[in-house]
Amino acid sequence: MRRKKNLVRLILTLIPVTLFLLSAMLAPYLCPFDPDAQDLASSLLPPGGRHLLGTDLYGRDLFSRVIAGGRISILSTLVLVGITALAGTAAGVLSGFMGGWIDALIMRISDLFLAFPGLVFAMALAAVLHGGVWGAVVSLALVNWPKYARVARSETLTVRKQTYIEAARLSGDSSLQLIFRHILPNIAGPLLVTATLDIGTMMMELAGLAFLGLGAQPPASEWGNMMSDGRSLLQTYPWIVLAPGFAIFLTVAAFNLMGDALRDYLDPTSVTGKRRGRRRKGRRP
Amino acid sequence: MNKWNKKMVKKLLAALLAGGLVLTGCGSQESSSGNPIPSAAGTSGAEAASPTVQKGEKTFVFGDTTFNSENEEANINPHDTYCGWAAIRYGVGETLFRFTDQMELEPWIASGYDQVDDKTWKIQIKDGVTFSNGKAVDAAAVKACLEDLVSVHERAAGDLKISSMEADGQTLTVKTAEQNPTLLNYLSDPYGCIIDMEAGNQNGIVIGTGPFAAEDLVTDDHLTLKKNKHYWNGEVKVDHVKVRTISDGDTLALALQSGEIDAAYGMAYASYPLFKNDYYAFSTITTSRAFYAQMNEQSGILKDDAVRKALAMGIGKEDFVRTLLRGYGEVANGAFPESFSFGRDVKAEPYDPEGAAKVLEEDGWIDTDGDGIREKDGQRLVIRWLTYPSRQELPLLAEASQASLKKIGIEVKVNVAADHNTLVADPSVWDVYAAAFVTCPTGDPLYFFSTHCLDSSAKNRGGYHSDRIEELARQMDAAFDPKERGTIARQMQQQILDDHAFVFCSFLKMSIVRKASVTGLDAHACDYYELTKDLDIEAA
Repeated sequence: MRRKKNLVRLILTLIPVTLFLLSAMLAPYLCPFDPDAQDLASSLLPPGGRHLLGTDLYGRDLFSRVIAGGRISILSTLVLVGITALAGTAAGVLSGFMGGWIDALIMRISDLFLAFPGLVFAMALAAVLHGGVWGAVVSLALVNWPKYARVARSETLTVRKQTYIEAARLSGDSSLQLIFRHILPNIAGPLLVTATLDIGTMMMELAGLAFLGLGAQPPASEWGNMMSDGRSLLQTYPWIVLAPGFAIFLTVAAFNLMGDALRDYLDPTSVTGKRRGRRRKGRRP
Repeated sequence: MNKWNKKMVKKLLAALLAGGLVLTGCGSQESSSGNPIPSAAGTSGAEAASPTVQKGEKTFVFGDTTFNSENEEANINPHDTYCGWAAIRYGVGETLFRFTDQMELEPWIASGYDQVDDKTWKIQIKDGVTFSNGKAVDAAAVKACLEDLVSVHERAAGDLKISSMEADGQTLTVKTAEQNPTLLNYLSDPYGCIIDMEAGNQNGIVIGTGPFAAEDLVTDDHLTLKKNKHYWNGEVKVDHVKVRTISDGDTLALALQSGEIDAAYGMAYASYPLFKNDYYAFSTITTSRAFYAQMNEQSGILKDDAVRKALAMGIGKEDFVRTLLRGYGEVANGAFPESFSFGRDVKAEPYDPEGAAKVLEEDGWIDTDGDGIREKDGQRLVIRWLTYPSRQELPLLAEASQASLKKIGIEVKVNVAADHNTLVADPSVWDVYAAAFVTCPTGDPLYFFSTHCLDSSAKNRGGYHSDRIEELARQMDAAFDPKERGTIARQMQQQILDDHAFVFCSFLKMSIVRKASVTGLDAHACDYYELTKDLDIEAA
């Protein structure tokens, strides 16, 4: 019963996420105006009329820029999470499966990366990579992979001791076969949940780098740099900052809710699930 | 306690916590002088305007976006790059002569001068002028200062052309190596601030003759000043001054709103409406600070005059001034504003996107692959535009130009870099360098050409060369008649415009925004007289 409820919840949370993804993919067809086209005669128009969300200092349509910005913000976040999860998982599985000096080496390298304050380290790396969206993605991937490596290693160590692994080994499976056939499928759940919950965080971090000028460069619209461009107008023309700000808020909230729902669905014994169970128990006479 | 009561208690606690947080956020904060001031929430920050009179002593805090190493103002030693601007702006240094509001020369530390012949000048130093350490200023002290200036400063020796000096009491005799009609103008440049060489230079802090004496300096952070008790030119009204480097225009506006600072220089135009009320006052004046684009003629793509011409025709200056500068500027044609006689009657390329496109087409730049950007011989028409953020107008100019040039098939890659001084020194990494520069700070037109357009110019970053400009500069060097100098200046401007070596976009209308309680702080056309003995703060 609980699993069914969790499934319904997951499907409900997938709706807004799907809408955001569709708008990102179809951005060129959804934008009523060229998001980069300046029209100084229409500078700083308030929301309404021809411009649903108003215009910015350069007279660019904010609705179009928010949609186009979503394409960069959401897609680059997904690429970032994908790269980070893949690289971290590969390192973690290798570490946990091989053990010995390989395990020690990978973990010490990850310790090195974790020794720096994450966002500061990412800023430095992005600056070295001369900014840009992909510079920001690479820098954040370099900062965040150890988290996945640790989760993957820990899960691999647990799974490796299971009897079915021993059985597979005795039946002649090679190390690669063991990893791809037995270990990865069994550790995918926690990693998937971690990655889904990370989408919101990574989106915020990417927006943060863009806000600092280390993400997408002008005239590209990206939610972080749109907020940065508009900050001097926050008190006088607030819609310029509020439009991308709300876009970030809604998207991050949607992905986080989906992450929670996915976790509850895949692991009903998780903290949320247990707490709900206890609460329900307590209510019974 | 039943279940309902428990819930109520929890809700009450949550409400109290939320209320506490809100009150903390909106509560009072400390002013620059330590007095509690009301919140700046809302439109004004308002009552924050009477902060700085404590125990009979007045403290003034000034926020400035440009007092930083990015603008070559790392300290207040006038003999170091453009640090003289800080020395004179913040009332530490004074020059022998100064400029009136009409940019005409008048004596300051000097009482007058005699031009003995084309190469000899006798300058009289006022009696009673003292350095802030109490030492009297005589001709020997001025001579020592100027000798050090010409030996260490990158521009001074070339500008002043001093061959020898003799000091006799209060009379300084200056001989120049060649005719120098603008000697007095250049002596009025901020680098000409007279400082006590015997007192030395303590980490960039020097002893001048101005109304304030420096106490503490941290580059890119702050400068602390105190009243010069020995000031020779009247009573100084403010006891302490702190100049804070706040390089971000938005942060500067917030600092003024919150009462952390009492006045601001370099605020974003977009923030001006926040201060258009009874609690603040503006002092605005048109200056000769030009926002211009300098072409790199060593760059492969800009060796092509057609590309330079198209750039000049493709930048919409009027829209830039009217919309992005909110009218706080003046459209530029040449290097000088029209308020100068030599700023008139020069003709720049008009804004004409269609004409620019035609120029490019005739030169063989055609969009063959339909991506909107032109190509020629396999090379895409991409311009690397280098600029910097501490002059808030420059990133706006970059982005506006990027959009308008895209319409004519030129892709602009913008690099807004705080370390632009390092980057611009390498001509292989930029094509266009957009900067802000006061083209006529000494009231004479030669200054701009000698700094930017000659083979020997320190700021001729793009490697521009013109035989005619070199010849005209020689003529101007020898011309004493202001009318003749003006005529030559017009010819020189026309030449650099015809060569498409520069695109002058606008001139700054400079504003200082101050609390209404602050008086005696006014913008000056030269852009470097700011803090004076007249600065005062009215008690609440």
